[in-house]
Amino acid sequence: MNGDSSQLHLTPDDLDAWLAGTATAESRRHVEECSACLELVRAEEALTSQLGALPLYAPKLDFADQVMASVAIPDPFAIRSLEAARRRLLASPRSIAIAATIALALLGSMAASAAWTLANRETLITAGNWLAGEAARWAWLGLRSAALNLIEQPWFDGFRSLVETPGRLAITSAALSLMYVSGILALRRLLAVPPRRVAHANG
Amino acid sequence: MAAKLDLAVKSDQEIVALACAGSEAGYRELIRRYERPVFSLLYRMLRDRELAEDLAQETFIKALNAIESYRPEFKFSSWIFKIANNAAIDHLRRRELDTLSLEGSPHAETPDAVEATALQVGAKQESPLDAVEARELGGQIEEAIAGLRPEYRSCILLRHVEGRAYEEIAEILGLPLGTVKTYIHRARNELRQALAHLRE
Repeated sequence: MNGDSSQLHLTPDDLDAWLAGTATAESRRHVEECSACLELVRAEEALTSQLGALPLYAPKLDFADQVMASVAIPDPFAIRSLEAARRRLLASPRSIAIAATIALALLGSMAASAAWTLANRETLITAGNWLAGEAARWAWLGLRSAALNLIEQPWFDGFRSLVETPGRLAITSAALSLMYVSGILALRRLLAVPPRRVAHANG
Repeated sequence: MAAKLDLAVKSDQEIVALACAGSEAGYRELIRRYERPVFSLLYRMLRDRELAEDLAQETFIKALNAIESYRPEFKFSSWIFKIANNAAIDHLRRRELDTLSLEGSPHAETPDAVEATALQVGAKQESPLDAVEARELGGQIEEAIAGLRPEYRSCILLRHVEGRAYEEIAEILGLPLGTVKTYIHRARNELRQALAHLRE
């Protein structure tokens, strides 16, 4: 409060506390004795209640539809849905300019690539043959190494005995399929959202 | 119907999460919750229904298209009010520039050239449409609010009409808490003075 001893008028913070219903006993005593502060408090109370009673205005009825027509809803199952991408690309002159530049660069590079390919067909065929031969050689080497490595494993003989006869193979396949299905069901249950709020005990 | 009721009890953060997951109902619920408060703030700031509607639409489109960048540690209401208030203040500043009365170009040499290059005060004069809108907004208190500086107007509307806390107003307006309190007290003083004749 401001002022000396008996004439400590309400500060703006005291006034806020008064309006919020958290005025101190000291402020209350002062307001009872000070007509100026009493008048101020009454005026402030009247003003804030008038302000609080002002109505909220509503926009046009189709407001939500108009907003939604320009909102790109993200598709959680796509990196970027085509519709959303189209809206974003056409959102402003700047984004249109960027999209046009990217499209031109892509088309230009594709045209240049096609022209070079047509002019250098022999080179491309030779390089392609060499690449295909090398790729096949490396793939065969990789496969052989993996198979040898597998056979060398200590558990390989045990595993082989499980699938040695058609009967054993069928049993092993059935057991593995059962384990897979159980795993999927358990995971689904773990990830499911509870259908409603769970009530908590309050002690 | 049940789904609608279900959405109504969810917090803003939960609704935003739904919207981010691609739920159109989530977006519509956010619009339903905030269309009136945002539109009312803009209407009272600008006193032009069409313009307020355009800026409210712009506000929602901006916010909802950037929903994935919303940070849930902040209130959604603060975020959307901030966008709306910035749009209103920007518009008021632009209007202020458009209606500046200048004394003509400094390069004008004849009185006719001075007159021809002078910007006229025009947009601030109340048109018949403005008058109708002023009547619709009506009431001496609305008139008194309209007479406040835009910064005071935002503060007083957010505090006493929208019922926001001082801290949230500071966040919305990007002002220190002390400044917000000062603005609100000054605004209330000005309003009290403007409405004093009603109490007499």
